Amino acid sequence: MQVYEVFRREREGGPMQHAGNLLAPDAELARHYAREFYGRRQESVRLWIVPRSAILDLDDPDLLQPPFDRSFKKPAGYSTEIKAKLATARSRADAGKGDE
Amino acid sequence: MSAQVLETPVRTALAGLLLAMADDEFVLGFWDSEWTGIAPVLEEDVAFASLAQDEVGHAQALYQLLADLEGGDPDELAFGRPPEGYRHARLLDHPRTDWAFSVARRFLYDTADAARLDALAASAYEPLAGVVAKMRREETYHLLHMHAWVERLATGGEEPRARLAAAMERLWPDALCVLDGIEGDDLLAEAGVLAEPMAAVRRRWLAGLVPELARLGLPAPPAAQTGACRGPGRSDDFRWLWEQFTMVRRSDPEAVW
Repeated sequence: MQVYEVFRREREGGPMQHAGNLLAPDAELARHYAREFYGRRQESVRLWIVPRSAILDLDDPDLLQPPFDRSFKKPAGYSTEIKAKLATARSRADAGKGDE
Repeated sequence: MSAQVLETPVRTALAGLLLAMADDEFVLGFWDSEWTGIAPVLEEDVAFASLAQDEVGHAQALYQLLADLEGGDPDELAFGRPPEGYRHARLLDHPRTDWAFSVARRFLYDTADAARLDALAASAYEPLAGVVAKMRREETYHLLHMHAWVERLATGGEEPRARLAAAMERLWPDALCVLDGIEGDDLLAEAGVLAEPMAAVRRRWLAGLVPELARLGLPAPPAAQTGACRGPGRSDDFRWLWEQFTMVRRSDPEAVW
């Protein structure tokens, strides 16, 4: 028996999303069981059934969690943080006016 | 073709066919649901219970067709008869026994039923053709699943193979009854309700099955069966199952759900 991971598409045009997994002795029964678990109530229009052993795993924090601040690379760098920076700049400008 | 234009003998034969098919599906569904919780692995537990549930659903649709044709209530047809009143093939008088036995029975039943549904797909009785079209879509998966299991048991070592072969040997004469015991099937064929008489459907079923059984080294069908195919005499095992599936209804027949 081996573990198969199942992905499903809920409606045409939608993404394939992880649904869960199952145990099966071979690919043919894995397809049958995937259908039973994730497709017999019209909840899917397509399934991908993948042996877990075929999945390439990557969880190295050096690759996935860089240590330096890269907040400027994130959209939040332009929406949330820019507001704070703007507020600082304004208050600095106001302080400059008082000097005239 | 609607119910109004059927001549009485054809209509009677059609009612007999509908009742036989509905009872086949209903009783098989109840037997196979007995595996819920105790199938070989969890995944198969879900799969086999789902097949069983499909059959009860098919029975419901067929009882409804019969009620539309002859009057009456589908629930009353399903649960309101004594054991002798059921018309299922005697293949379904056996208990679930072991896994190989239940697989052998379902394989023989599903392949025979597929031949029967093929003969009804273009039925001149349109309400039946409509239900059959839906049943065939679900039966596609039943057939795939049962072929997969028979293949695995037949080639999966000495014990599963021996159990499967013994079950088939025992079940073959009763399996022939799935495509037998329908009175007036020749009239139904003449009227276009059924594509051909049951004997021809049976030959077509066996012609498709025999090469596969030979390839797997499994028992071939006997030349013929003898004895009554569809009751009224029933096994103690069926009587036990009847007690089970009518228990709730008998406790309060007037209850509204």
